Amino acid sequence: MSFNMLKRSWRKSLHFAEIQRSQLVCSSRFSSFLNKIVENPSGSRGDLVPSNWFWFASKYRHFSDSSSQVATLPSGYGFYRKNIPGCRSYLLPDINFCYGFLQGLAFSSRFRLLGSQAAMEPSTSDGLTVEGILANNWTVLDESENDWKSHASAIAQSIHLIKKRLQWKKLIVRLNMLSMELNKPDLWDDPVHAGKISREHGSLLGKMKEVKAFEQELLEHIDMIKLAREEDDADLESESLKALLNMRRNSKEKELEALLSGEQDSCSCFIEVQAGAGGIKRATIKVDGEHAFGYAKSEVGVHRLVRISPFDSNKRRHTSFAAVAVIPIMGDGSTRVQINESDLRIERFRSGGAGGQHANTTDSAVRIVHIPTGVTATCQNERSQHQNKASAMAVLQSRLDQLEMTRQAQMNAHHTQSLTDITWGSQIRSYVLHPYRMVKDLRTNYEVSDPDSVLEGDIDGFILSYLSASLDKDEE
Amino acid sequence: MKLSFSSAYFASNFPVFLKSSVVTSLYRPVSSSSQSCLPTCLKPQVPLFLKPPIYSTALSDLKSWHDWAKSLATSIGSTFVESDNGPDSSLLCRELKWLMEDAVEDQSVLTQMGNVNNQTVIMRADVEELYSLWKQRIEDRRPFQYLVGCEHWKDLVLSVQDGVLIPRPETEHIIDLVADVLSKNEGLRQGVWADLGTGSGAIAIAIGRMLGKCGRVIATDFSPVAVAVAAYNVQRYCLQDVVQLKQGSWFEPLKNVEGKLAGLVSNPPYIPSKDITGLQAEVGRHEPRVALDGGINGMDDLFHLCNGAASMLKPGGFFAFETNGEQQCKHLVDYLENHTSGSFCGLKIEPDFAGIQRFVTGFRQ
Ligand SMILES: C[S@@+](CC[C@H](N)C(=O)[O-])C[C@H]1O[C@@H](n2cnc3c(N)ncnc32)[C@H](O)[C@@H]1O
Repeated sequence: MSFNMLKRSWRKSLHFAEIQRSQLVCSSRFSSFLNKIVENPSGSRGDLVPSNWFWFASKYRHFSDSSSQVATLPSGYGFYRKNIPGCRSYLLPDINFCYGFLQGLAFSSRFRLLGSQAAMEPSTSDGLTVEGILANNWTVLDESENDWKSHASAIAQSIHLIKKRLQWKKLIVRLNMLSMELNKPDLWDDPVHAGKISREHGSLLGKMKEVKAFEQELLEHIDMIKLAREEDDADLESESLKALLNMRRNSKEKELEALLSGEQDSCSCFIEVQAGAGGIKRATIKVDGEHAFGYAKSEVGVHRLVRISPFDSNKRRHTSFAAVAVIPIMGDGSTRVQINESDLRIERFRSGGAGGQHANTTDSAVRIVHIPTGVTATCQNERSQHQNKASAMAVLQSRLDQLEMTRQAQMNAHHTQSLTDITWGSQIRSYVLHPYRMVKDLRTNYEVSDPDSVLEGDIDGFILSYLSASLDKDEE
Repeated sequence: MKLSFSSAYFASNFPVFLKSSVVTSLYRPVSSSSQSCLPTCLKPQVPLFLKPPIYSTALSDLKSWHDWAKSLATSIGSTFVESDNGPDSSLLCRELKWLMEDAVEDQSVLTQMGNVNNQTVIMRADVEELYSLWKQRIEDRRPFQYLVGCEHWKDLVLSVQDGVLIPRPETEHIIDLVADVLSKNEGLRQGVWADLGTGSGAIAIAIGRMLGKCGRVIATDFSPVAVAVAAYNVQRYCLQDVVQLKQGSWFEPLKNVEGKLAGLVSNPPYIPSKDITGLQAEVGRHEPRVALDGGINGMDDLFHLCNGAASMLKPGGFFAFETNGEQQCKHLVDYLENHTSGSFCGLKIEPDFAGIQRFVTGFRQ
């Protein structure tokens, strides 16, 4: 994957955001901003990224709008990657920090399980293992130096880092546990659970095998080099050296991949932004694409901006805050509201009459009422009552899902409220434009002295440093 | 109603004779009806949507027909509704759309109706036929389902034709009731079921698709046309090994499974004879009277079925009957409770989606 590409599309989107910002000055309602995006006919469509998005919110605080509105952006947006199929944006009355979710994430990524597996360490014919290479501490020279020990050392270090990022020991424990579950004879009594278990098992096993194969390959090339030297085979030696160099280059990419190996990292996600105090400034953007959640989760927290407000005629310095939440969109339908048959009332419209054999009508319109919420859905277009019922059910389902999403968002908004008002601990980054210029991530201490570039969307450095900082600490 | 009641109990054993005037005009007398004789002479009609697309028409001609048909439908307004609770023009327009769907092979043409050019359209019926069909619909009140030769019922598309009752949306609910019972009692899934008076085969086919490996449905009808059409539908859903068709009167073709049935369902004729003349034109003028006329109070066949159910069902076996409404449901439950010497338990009355008490269900003790 190309980070430059990522950066470029990020920038492009920010550029777009800037254009929109100037348009916004003329608009009187925050929601019309979203409408503008929808209407924007130009080809240079981009996406709104959180680091910029929330400034709109705080800036246009006085254009508050309490109505709830959902806007849909046309597909084809570039976000983290250029092949992102679609992006939707919602402006909901109360959307925000999803603490429950964050806790769940932290929980699921931390399996405190005992027991481990004494895995067979692969080694070369003379007993050299990857651990052994690391222990030898061979100097890593520049790639251009054709030194096998240097290549091997660099690759071994990468493998070490990759394992750390994959939380290797926990991964093995988890794999063992999943294998045990899979062997239970009653596993398929609960097919949904069974499916989940076997999917996770398959994915973890795949990751483990890939790393093992990489280790194996390293050791085989070393064997070949030793053999070539014994046999005085210069061709074989240079071929094997070349192969090692290739591995060394590949390993950098694998390191990066390992940063995004969390269970939900590959999901699409909602990015929710809420500005500091006063007015409504909540917006939800849907981001579709490979690893959307994996990247965006790095932005979760409170962002702080210090600058001379362009809206203050006295040119005073202002500090504003915005909270960002990121919610993964699970593909397995687990976000769907479970509907109880017994909560439904199904009605058929008809103009009185005895019905049954008395009547011949092609009208089989059906209305379904969800009794607990009063939400209804109707369908009359289908040719059978059964089909009308099925279509009405689908509509009812999406209405209830939407309602649930709003409800959760409202619930989470309480957290945000207290968070933005009092909790400084959750502040993750500050953007200072005055009196000095700097953007600093408070979690990693990563800093950049050119805030404009960051506000333009150059946040890859922040994301990567955060991801590696959170994963590369030593496994407990 | 109450007065004729007790006599109906006795008469119920001979329902066909009570209606013989109707029956003989259409079918052979009961005595000569034979079992499991699949009529080979009767060739069921192929529904429009399954006919080969061998006609080609200029789009402009199709559009002229459509405009004509639409204005005809619109001109009806609520005339039919007022005269006999028939369709209004918006429903007729919806039917017109479905007729086009069934007749035109390439559906995308339907969206281009606006810009008429020299394009030709491939169709399953020629435009002349469409004119005549729509005329029949409006002028003769011929049911839409007979025009297109099919009815969408549950998730099935069933072939229907003159002489076979068009399955009703209400009846779909019998399938839900059976599904519910099957989900609670796996044993019934493997047993033999019977659908008496199967008509197009609707109930039998829907149940056949829910049964287990060993489950079977015996579907009977007195009408040879119904049996032929039901056989065609069974074949379309590849259920020949599951649904067995038998021609004959009610339980007559079922003698060899006496006391063995896991389930018995029926939507027998239940309209009181005196109401037949006032029926909606689509029903009264076009659907077979033997499928509708339930005798003086409409319950001749229902009582006959209740009596038979006691001897045909095995202990724990389930039954479900459709009725004319609340009154018939109550009479039936009363009869089952007090006049079948405690053969049944778990008796229930179930409403349809319009809120009319429509079904009586229960179990053999
Ligand atoms: C109301 S229709 C029901 C058809 C089908 N079961 C349905 O629900 O669409 C009643 C059916 O009972 C059949 N029938 C009438 N008298 C019968 C008899 N004596 N024995 C068997 N079937 C009979 C009619 O031919 C007709 O098909």
